[in-house]
Amino acid sequence: MRRNIFLTGATGTVGSELLRRLAARDDTTLNLLVRRTGYDRRPQIDYGLRGVRVAATLNLFDGDLCDGDALGLSPDAFNSLTRTTTHVIHCGGSTSFALPLAESRATNVTGTARVLRFAQQCERLESAAFFSTVYVSGMRRGIFAESDFGDAGNGFVNSYERSKAEMEEVVRAAIADLPILLFRLSTVIGDSRTGTVHGFNALHHAIRLLYQGLAPMVPGMPSTPVDMVSSDYVAEAALHLIDNQAGCGVFHLASGERAAAIGDLLSATIESLMRFRPTWRKRSIEKPLLVDLDTYELFVRSVEEAGNDVLRNATRSIRTFAYQLAHPKVFATRQTSEALADSGIAPRPVLQFYPQIVKYCVESNWGLQRC
Amino acid sequence: MPTTRLLEIDSDFHLLDMTADSGYDIGIDAVATYLPAATASLAELAMRGLLRGSVETLSSFGFGQVHLAGEQSNFQMAMHAAEKLFSENDIDRDEVGAILYSTALSSSATMWNPPRRKLPGDGVLRLDEIDDLFKYPASRLQSELDLPRASVVGINQIGCASTFAALRIARAMIAGEEDLDAVLCVSADKFPPGEPRDLVYNVISDGASAALVRRNATRNRIVACTQVTKGALWDGGSLENEIVAAYFPTAKSVIDRTLSKARLTIGDISLVIPHNVSARSWEILGKLIGCPPHLIYTENIECVGHTIASDNILNLETATAEGRISRGDYLLLFTFGYGLNWACMILEH
Repeated sequence: MRRNIFLTGATGTVGSELLRRLAARDDTTLNLLVRRTGYDRRPQIDYGLRGVRVAATLNLFDGDLCDGDALGLSPDAFNSLTRTTTHVIHCGGSTSFALPLAESRATNVTGTARVLRFAQQCERLESAAFFSTVYVSGMRRGIFAESDFGDAGNGFVNSYERSKAEMEEVVRAAIADLPILLFRLSTVIGDSRTGTVHGFNALHHAIRLLYQGLAPMVPGMPSTPVDMVSSDYVAEAALHLIDNQAGCGVFHLASGERAAAIGDLLSATIESLMRFRPTWRKRSIEKPLLVDLDTYELFVRSVEEAGNDVLRNATRSIRTFAYQLAHPKVFATRQTSEALADSGIAPRPVLQFYPQIVKYCVESNWGLQRC
Repeated sequence: MPTTRLLEIDSDFHLLDMTADSGYDIGIDAVATYLPAATASLAELAMRGLLRGSVETLSSFGFGQVHLAGEQSNFQMAMHAAEKLFSENDIDRDEVGAILYSTALSSSATMWNPPRRKLPGDGVLRLDEIDDLFKYPASRLQSELDLPRASVVGINQIGCASTFAALRIARAMIAGEEDLDAVLCVSADKFPPGEPRDLVYNVISDGASAALVRRNATRNRIVACTQVTKGALWDGGSLENEIVAAYFPTAKSVIDRTLSKARLTIGDISLVIPHNVSARSWEILGKLIGCPPHLIYTENIECVGHTIASDNILNLETATAEGRISRGDYLLLFTFGYGLNWACMILEH
């Protein structure tokens, strides 16, 4: 039976990975909600699909998660989509850590509520998948299970985390009515086979600051886990679960107990930069220090008081996520592992492919040049 | 009776004196400093247009006032410090076999004493001033201090780490030359008049220091020293952010290396003798190296400021005078200089 998939966020890190895989299916119609920008988004979609043998029917709909209950769609388009859609995959949203909370909420909470209402009106709906983050756990420490929700009163590091936690509350409220799959992603760093990065995020920016010698210290212990996964794992796991999972569920697409330690990651970063940019060695940049939170905050405060804009901005951008390192946690993946048990899909140990990610960052100049 | 020398060259080609009990102890036997009498508070500097940053911020970083040389030259300050060294200590002038005259500022390596006001017209130097650029203070110091046996060497291009380099070289010279028993290390720097005194979060003071490095020293045996240069950061003007970011990781690394060479841990250190950069930075560095604040001698930061290359000698002198140091104490001296250089030294008092 032909699938009609309504996909948001198709140009994002995860959405673009899903798009490449779904576009190759000949039993699928893909209806993409692409944000209205005033220019034709088709070339961007086509660029994302380079190398893919497109077999699916592809339709682009101009819209916006923040543009009213109809998601900025025309009444005809909205009605047509609710009649035909069998699957909703909602990847759209803001992943910026630095936005004011109101702006994060507008996209991630209100926008998701609108997608839910759209899903509730879909006459043939089989599944609705929503993408969240494991960092809805905020500043909790210890083990965060798939059955856990929110920060448990520990607070959040940034507006992104808080808005995603609030988004989950909205999604949970709809679970009684809809076949919802909730995917919580850890930090998606790129393709484990090629090193290609489709969406540069805070982690890649941190690698750039280290490359530039502007990251003197981060909070944490050498053994502090940093959960990261590849974009190909996330896409393959999510699609497998969308295709095969019956009913509702929450899944952590994370490395879990196999997450790399920050000390090893910093060493791997330095080694990779030296390997892939031999001239970088001349700059004699030291590995960032791992310090306790008090020391880190004292440094941040000093830079805020006296630093110039470049150093201040560098420190601020690290600060938007660095506090997570001072609240170490492990994202349990039991439910996901069980659901994927027979699929052969599992996250690769990050340190096996991390150097390729660093290489891609350097060679693409963090996305400014095409590799 | 001849002494037995047990010397070791480490992987960085540093000469390590491993003979703590053998009598072959090279150390800093005497120190003296000179600070000009004239002072200016942060508020006064701000009123004179000599601060870029705010008084509040610099004050929160621990600075209070600086000493200003006024019309005094680098050489005059150096002479004051050296004369004080001789007058306060039992030193045979014929014993001094070398003078190492170290300066941080390029202008300090000559007799040139820039005028308080900018030069008229196009600012071109007058002929007599160019002539001054070829007159060297080390030779004049040798003459005026009446040290006829002392040869002279100038040390510069390593910023505030100049004095450390002089001490390290003095130690190596004494270890390497049997007929050399004492080296006078002198440093003096006068900040260019009219220039803002705050530089990379620090407030600069004028001042000078003198130290006698001696074979069979009675105190301050030099146990280990390390200097790291990161030439990629030579351009202090355009790489300020990278320099600030590099400061802490490299400082910790250099201190850890020096402790390791000395076969000590930070817990063995009785007092850290710092350079007088911002107290805030020492608060951070203290946490990084695991040294509690009360074991870092920051008392002179507020009342003196950063004398460029003389801070550590000044702090060693006052900490000793205040009775903060006991015989046998291990002292850790650290400094940082443009170029870009980090230097650390461990002394056994």
